[in-house]
Order: sequence, then structure tokens, then C-alpha cells
Amino acid sequence: MRLPAAREPGMNAPERHLKRTHRRSGELAGIVLVNEEIKAIVATAFRINLMALNAIFLAKRAGNAALGFGVLSNELRRFAQDLTRRMSSLRDMTSGSVGSVTGVVQQQRSTAILAEAIRLSGEGVPGVREARKRGALRLAEQQASLRALDMRLRAAVEETQQLVELGGVLARSAKIEAAYGGGFSPALMQVSTDFAEVIAQIKRSLEVLGKERLVKD
Amino acid sequence: MKQAHCIYQDDEHRWLAIARDPTKPGYIIDTNEYVIIDGDEALLCDPGGIEIFPSVFSALSAECDPTKLAGIFASHQDPDIISSLALWLEFKPELKCYISWLWQSFLPHFGGTDTTFVPIPDPGMAIKLGGLELQAIPAHYLHSSGNHHLYDPKAKILFSGDVGAALLPPDQNSLYVEDFSRHIRHAEGFHKRWMGSDKAKRDWCERVSRLDIDMLVPQHGAIYQGADVQRFISWFAALEVGVLRG
Repeated sequence: MRLPAAREPGMNAPERHLKRTHRRSGELAGIVLVNEEIKAIVATAFRINLMALNAIFLAKRAGNAALGFGVLSNELRRFAQDLTRRMSSLRDMTSGSVGSVTGVVQQQRSTAILAEAIRLSGEGVPGVREARKRGALRLAEQQASLRALDMRLRAAVEETQQLVELGGVLARSAKIEAAYGGGFSPALMQVSTDFAEVIAQIKRSLEVLGKERLVKD
Repeated sequence: MKQAHCIYQDDEHRWLAIARDPTKPGYIIDTNEYVIIDGDEALLCDPGGIEIFPSVFSALSAECDPTKLAGIFASHQDPDIISSLALWLEFKPELKCYISWLWQSFLPHFGGTDTTFVPIPDPGMAIKLGGLELQAIPAHYLHSSGNHHLYDPKAKILFSGDVGAALLPPDQNSLYVEDFSRHIRHAEGFHKRWMGSDKAKRDWCERVSRLDIDMLVPQHGAIYQGADVQRFISWFAALEVGVLRG
């Protein structure tokens, strides 16, 4: 267990507050990380969309031999559009959460400084118990709303992971269809391999998102 | 840690100066906070920054009941003046903060809601505290564009914000000015640089010369009392301000 910060030797009050704030700024850094991952997925989804368009043209050129590949390319394009929409709603969610996280960080900092003031003044000072209770209540409310947001975010990430699983299946099917592409087979194989790679990349980003927590326990 | 010193007392009417913090790190400017108490109400003048809040709160609590705080008077908007606002409101959410109207929409960045602030108009205003009527005196452009000082006609004390401030070396930690000529050397550079308007300075000097002042209490440095008050006003009136060097 950590020593109470106020008793750490060799540190003045501002240094102790700075240390505490630094520790809590991890939550804000968490939001930044989530946003960055979402941005990366959005960029990748845009790439899939373009790749799918190219694949559709390629399949058209290949004619009857690549009919199945063409259908799958259309599905992949629809998948990319769905993914972009989902990521956009995830992004809205995390943008809103910046305010909540900042509120918690501010409240935690105020509570810590007030606790230091109470420690220096003594518990007997009128009003301090009520102030502490009020602060704790506000912090608990803010943390509860952040937890709820965290759960919504995780649920949305899980749903997106399922969607991406479907994308993975489409990419694998495209690879099989590419084998029947006749003279276009190597080109179609290359496109389907690219699909599989970018979808694997999205999966990795979603795993990072799934592990990130807006509220540190 | 800071300590509260009683600088005036007449029955239930008191002024406390919360000053001198030997444990404060050197990179934070030293500040004085003042508490005016009358009967069951107290007003805190320039409560200071976030980092010194524990020390100010503790010093204040040692001398008076902090729940009696009715308000905060902020001479202007600087962080060393009022960045602790959110913490005082954390302690007592219904506190009122008196500040120049100019800063009314800026200070909520430090904390507070639309009901927290009482805007002081440019010509100043009366502020009631217990049985007292304090006067917010205009001190615009000294140094802030929206700046007020606070005069207590009963105690004859003028809280003068940054006017009269001195950046004292650590070995000169007396609460009161002991040797004006020696002290004022530590105020000169500060006033030349921070006070930007000669006209505003002359207006202020004329205005406060008409007041009956026993003590001039600045936000930094030592307190001027007795003849040193007029000595300071005359010195300031003659000082060239708004200069970068020299």
C-alpha cells in the first residue's frame, strides 16, 4: 500500500499535488489513446473502401471468372462503410468523455488539496467534514457516470469486433474466390491478401481499444 | 507553513494577515492574504493560488471559523490572486466572489457558477460585511485593467493589492516595513515594470490621499503603517512607471 502522499518525505505540498495529478493524468492519456486508435481504424476503413472499389473494377474486368469475387468486394465495401459509421459514433462517445474524465481529474485534485488543508488544520475545524462529504459525493457521481460511459464504450467496441470478424470472413472468402479468377487470379489474390492484412490491423487496434479503460480501478 | 497575524482588533472587528511561508518553494511568488472579520462574517482578500490553499486554509482556520467566510474579494484576475477559487468553493459553495466586472466572465475558468460572482463596477462599490461597510476603491491599470483595492474606514486599513508590493529577499521577513528607504528598493523594480499607466497612478495617489489610512497592506511584501503610508504614496506618485528597465 502507498504511504499517504502528504507524508512522503522530502516533498513540499505543490510537489505532492503535482505527483498526484500526474498519476491521474493517466486517465486523460487513456482517452487520447482511445481517440488515436479510433482515428487509425477510421483511416484503415477508408483504405478498405478504396481497396474494395478497386477490387470491384478488377472483378468486372475479369468477367465471369470473378463473379463471386465481385460480390464479395461489394460486401467488403459495405463492411468498410458500416465500420466507418461505427467508428464515428465511437469517436463521438470518446469526445464526450474528455469532459467527464477532466471533471473527475479536477475533482480528484480538489479533493486531494482539500484533504491536505484539512490535515494541516485538524478535523475539528467547522465545515470540513461537510466539505469532504460533498466532494466525495461529487467525485463518486462523476466516477459513476464515467464508468457507465466506459461500459458503453466497451460494449460498442465488442459489437465492432463482431463486425470485423465478419470482415475477416469476407476477406478469407475473397481469397478462395480469387483462386478461381483465371488469368486475373494473381491480381485478385494480391487484393484479397491486402484485405486480410488491413482487417488484421483493425483487429489489433480494436484489441487495444478493448483493453483501454476510461476509469482506472 | 503560513501563519495568521492579527494586525488590527477592535472588539469583534479584526484584520488578519496570512503571510510568510518559509516552507513554500522558491519558484512560487510569496503572497499575503488578508481576512477581515466583523462579528459573524469574514471576507478573504486575494486568497492566493491553488498550491498555497492548504497553508492559507490552515492559517485561517487557526484564527477564525472558516464557515463564517461570507465572501472573497479579488483585487484582480491573476493566478496568484484567485486561482484557488474552486477550492474555497469546494469548502463553501455559496461563497460570493467580488471582482471587477471586467473579469466576471474570465474567473469562471478558475471555478464558480453564475451565482458566485458579484461584479464591481469601475467606480467601485460598498461591500457590506457584518456591521461594516467596506469600500472597493478603483485602481484600474495598477496593474490590471480591471483592478480594485479595499478600504476599511473603521480600521483605516487599505488593502492595496499589487500596489505597495515588494519582492523581499529571504532574510527580510518582517511583517511590517521597518526601514522605508531600505524596503522601497525592493519595491521599485516591481512598480516600474508592473504599473503601466502614469495617469492611473496619479489618479490613484490623489484618490487614496483623501482617505484616512493607518495601514496600507499589499499582496506581496511588508505592511506600511503610520507615516510610511504617506511616504509610500509620495514615492509612488514620483516614480516613473511603465518602463522595461532602469
